[in-house]
Amino acid sequence: MSDNYTQIGKSVPRIDAFEKVTGQAKYTADIKFSNMLVGKLLLSPHAHARIISIDTSEAEKLPGVKAVITHKDVPSKRYGLSPARWDENIFCIDKVRYIGDKVAAVAAIDEETVYKALKLIKVDYEVLPAVFDAFEAMKEGAPQIFEEYPGNINTEIHQNFGDLDQAFKDAYYVRTDRYDGQRTYQCPLEPHATIAYWEGSKVTVYSSIQSVHYLQYYLSQVLDLKMGDVRVLKTYIGGGFGGKMDPSGLDFGAVILAKKTGRPVKMWFDREDMFFNNRGRHPQFMNITTGVTKEGKILGVHADFVMDGGAYTGLGIASAYYAGALLTILYDFENYKFDMLRVVTNLPGCGAQRGHGQPQPRYAFESHLDNIAEHLGIDPLEMRIINARKPGTLTVQGFRVDSYGLKEAMEKAREISGWRDKKGKLPQGRGIGMGNGGFVSGAGYAIYRTDLPHSVATIKVTDDGTSAILYTGAVEIGQGSDTVLCQMAAEAMGYRYEDMKIVAADTDLAAHDLGAYASRQTLMSGAAVKQAGEDVNKKILDTAAEIMGVSNEELDCRDGIVFVKSNPEITKTFAEVARTYFVKNGQLIGRGSYKPPKLGGVHKGSAVGTSPAYSAATQVAEVVIDEETGEIEVIEAWDVHDCGYVINPALLHGQVHGAFYMGMGEAIWEEVLFDKNGKLMNGNLAEYRLPTALDMPPVASELVDTVDPNAPWGVKEVGEGATTPTMGCISNAVYDAIGVRVKSLPFTYEKIWRAIKEKK
Amino acid sequence: MNLPDFDYYIPASLQDACALLAEKGPGAKVLAGGTDLLNKMKHELMAPEVLISLKKLDQLTSIDYVSGKGVVIGSMATHNAISNSSLLQEKYLSVCEAAQHMANNQVRNVGTIGGNIVNAVPSADLPPIFIALGALLTLVSTNGERVMPLEEFFTGPGKTHLAPDELLTGIVIPDNSFTGSTYIKFGLRRSGALAVVGVAVAVEMDRNICKDARIALGAVAPVPMRAKKAEAMMIGNAITDELLEQVGVCASTECNPISDIRGSEEYRRDMVRVFTKRALRKAINNGHV
Ligand SMILES: Cc1cc2nc3c(=O)[nH]c(=O)nc-3n(C[C@H](O)[C@H](O)[C@H](O)COP(=O)(O)OP(=O)(O)OC[C@H]3O[C@@H](n4cnc5c(N)ncnc54)[C@H](O)[C@@H]3O)c2cc1C
Repeated sequence: MSDNYTQIGKSVPRIDAFEKVTGQAKYTADIKFSNMLVGKLLLSPHAHARIISIDTSEAEKLPGVKAVITHKDVPSKRYGLSPARWDENIFCIDKVRYIGDKVAAVAAIDEETVYKALKLIKVDYEVLPAVFDAFEAMKEGAPQIFEEYPGNINTEIHQNFGDLDQAFKDAYYVRTDRYDGQRTYQCPLEPHATIAYWEGSKVTVYSSIQSVHYLQYYLSQVLDLKMGDVRVLKTYIGGGFGGKMDPSGLDFGAVILAKKTGRPVKMWFDREDMFFNNRGRHPQFMNITTGVTKEGKILGVHADFVMDGGAYTGLGIASAYYAGALLTILYDFENYKFDMLRVVTNLPGCGAQRGHGQPQPRYAFESHLDNIAEHLGIDPLEMRIINARKPGTLTVQGFRVDSYGLKEAMEKAREISGWRDKKGKLPQGRGIGMGNGGFVSGAGYAIYRTDLPHSVATIKVTDDGTSAILYTGAVEIGQGSDTVLCQMAAEAMGYRYEDMKIVAADTDLAAHDLGAYASRQTLMSGAAVKQAGEDVNKKILDTAAEIMGVSNEELDCRDGIVFVKSNPEITKTFAEVARTYFVKNGQLIGRGSYKPPKLGGVHKGSAVGTSPAYSAATQVAEVVIDEETGEIEVIEAWDVHDCGYVINPALLHGQVHGAFYMGMGEAIWEEVLFDKNGKLMNGNLAEYRLPTALDMPPVASELVDTVDPNAPWGVKEVGEGATTPTMGCISNAVYDAIGVRVKSLPFTYEKIWRAIKEKK
Repeated sequence: MNLPDFDYYIPASLQDACALLAEKGPGAKVLAGGTDLLNKMKHELMAPEVLISLKKLDQLTSIDYVSGKGVVIGSMATHNAISNSSLLQEKYLSVCEAAQHMANNQVRNVGTIGGNIVNAVPSADLPPIFIALGALLTLVSTNGERVMPLEEFFTGPGKTHLAPDELLTGIVIPDNSFTGSTYIKFGLRRSGALAVVGVAVAVEMDRNICKDARIALGAVAPVPMRAKKAEAMMIGNAITDELLEQVGVCASTECNPISDIRGSEEYRRDMVRVFTKRALRKAINNGHV
């Protein structure tokens, strides 16, 4: 089937490759406007303190300073994701809630002056007791961070499906394990930056952001502007991984400073600021109980979790729901209980990091399943095969899963990794482990309540037909969406990828789209693009039919050539037909729009986890552990993915490698650390240890073929799903190597060393 | 992050540099590669009023063999210059390896041996191997020159015997009869990690008998230190795996590590045991590596 396609299913070069490799690509912080000011935020030095007064007069007097703003100069409207948890202000009003909280901002003629001015702002604080641990925060008498979250509990979820008590009674074996996750940060290479300028009542905002639509929405809501007066766009973005979804203090700050000064204002984070802004992964503390039959069939699961949210909620409410929602996708069981407490603490706010709330629960669940398999004396891979969800089934909460190749992925992974020859048979200190994962291919519901379509696409064929421009709101953040969407547009049009151009992620010039999150763009933006391409294609065939004197059913168009199906020698070029269309009918434009059908059940929180299609992935990793030092080396890894039809194999495998890299980093090295006063200890790339190229093993990335009926060409996601199996997979490999379980992330050399020592 | 204001001088001769340093007093700092100094200034841990750059003093970048003296390395030699020096590769590959395995390529291109020593961070990677090889420092001021064993130079974290008006001009590895030496850095990832433990050794072997041994440890005490009791266990003895294990245990009791975000005291001690043993075995078997 894929053989019939000429533009998709191919590793065409990225559309932005030339600009990026030559350094021509301008990222937001590279852009300069004449007369532009620079701005910076003043951050809180205290983890929890009442603001008594702020005196900006000295800072304002400093030559070169053009504006100093605090909460007094900005709307006091709170923002966030779910209205019940709008808990963040542009600048703190009464209290600061973590070291790094936003207090004020300065715009001045240059960077030097800005830094000097920040030092001249006098803030009088009354320091309050603070709390940095989720369990401490829930205790009686703990400092209260928000009045509206008694006991510091910010979200409480209790879901119960089927009859878990009965399932556990029927079970041959019921086991509980506790695993702890850690706080990690996305560390995109490009630090956040924002530039804003005003023209009359209209503001233009360049931001390094994953969704131009949501930023436009937030800015208009919080600043009380018409959406139409706010234009948000981006240039190139050097990675996001979820950390550039929530609006940052830079976005609000730059817009307001630009308004006050009447000049363009550029603001950016340095590396440490990024850790303060955070929105990285929530640490989760996970009790998980499962009942199984003697054969290893799962009868029921209880996920009982606590997560540390840090000071603010933002997307964190969705993280809390995702943590439990997606546990039911991979394996088919009918009884499920999910309890979650999301707790606020005096640390930077957590949010959505690649895989959203799911990777840590997957780590817990995949480790737990290996423990169960070991107890039952069953190969852990075989036990998972027994439980693997079948295509065309419903999860216990009512998520419909159509295409699903988890079983095939496991079977293939078993082959290519040499599992049968290795599992349990490697010498001491060497081990192999597996883990499964997967993700939604786009969320079934938008982030805020809206009936807008999720994706819109427009294609304009230029006047003489020698190029076509795709207009989309999809956000290229490095993952390759501009390339893939242009391939899709060309395929649907019968055109050539090489002749495509793209105008993307600009709320004025491009089309509407919800943006780059929840691994949604290939499926959802792709669906709109396909429609728009088919719209063009139809117009081309109709016009060609007139010119060629045949009926349009007799024609087809591929690779920029219209031809008679029964006699492919008879042709017209797409370009000349397009030109004729233009002369006769005006500009040749195709339109497409996508909104998911109504998905999911009726229980509270039922929207989170819905998706038109679910990916599945199996990973196997082999590790070598130095038993004297605890040093762990991942020597090889295998990933088999069910991501539906693949538009661009090179980009897909790039995502798998990157996702494995990220999951491996979280499994072994990465953790954001604070001292006992809540002060960030490692907000830099020396002590927040991302793996280096030398730490990365060879990764074999393979596919199983599925074609999802709910997606354009049957595509599914890969970007996030591929990071969800990794921590569990490495956890199981470590166990296989040393025969003892490290029960908290990350598996630092010292923790492994200690585990080996304690075993002895 | 932003650099505070300072005055900047680029003297053209060693004399001018010394004179400037004497004139400007303790508010002045020498600037070599700047990879430590500028970083500290940006983080507001230090605010010198004057920076005196040594970048015009070409004579301080040389790496030569001076007969009767030994290998002389100019204080402005960069880590990459050290690791690429054919003289060092031939005589003390262990020194090249130590320089090659620190930081990252960008830092190795500008960071200098002088900066690495004077900065006096307990985890610095070059001091241990140079201490093991018995290196001497040449310190120069307007009052003249003095020579001091590197081992005696450090007085605490960030503290040395360098006088405020003094410059480090060179490091000398005197001629010696060591048959092998090595430095093992144990960091928490393959590259770009500071040492949790660094162990350097130099040994003189006569067949299987150890005639001399020096063990220098980094990152496990306020200053790079020698494990002299452990050394004594080796000297005059036939080397066996059991002996090396005991030497490792001894070194682990001699050191004085702290717990920090990179590792606990307990872990560091045990890593001293492991890497002392491994480093000795490597130097005994493979020479200067
Ligand atoms: C990303 C990164 C990674 C790093 N990794 C490592 C690592 O793995 N291992 C390691 O050991 N270090 C590491 N460092 C620290 C640093 O790069 C080295 O210590 C380097 O050798 C310092 O040399 P420099 O020339 O840059 O010194 P500078 O920063 O110029 O100077 C450091 C100090 O020494 C003084 N000084 C310098 N030269 C002289 C002289 N000739 N006479 C008198 N005083 C002098 C300066 O006044 C200053 O106080 C790293 C640094 C960075 C930024």
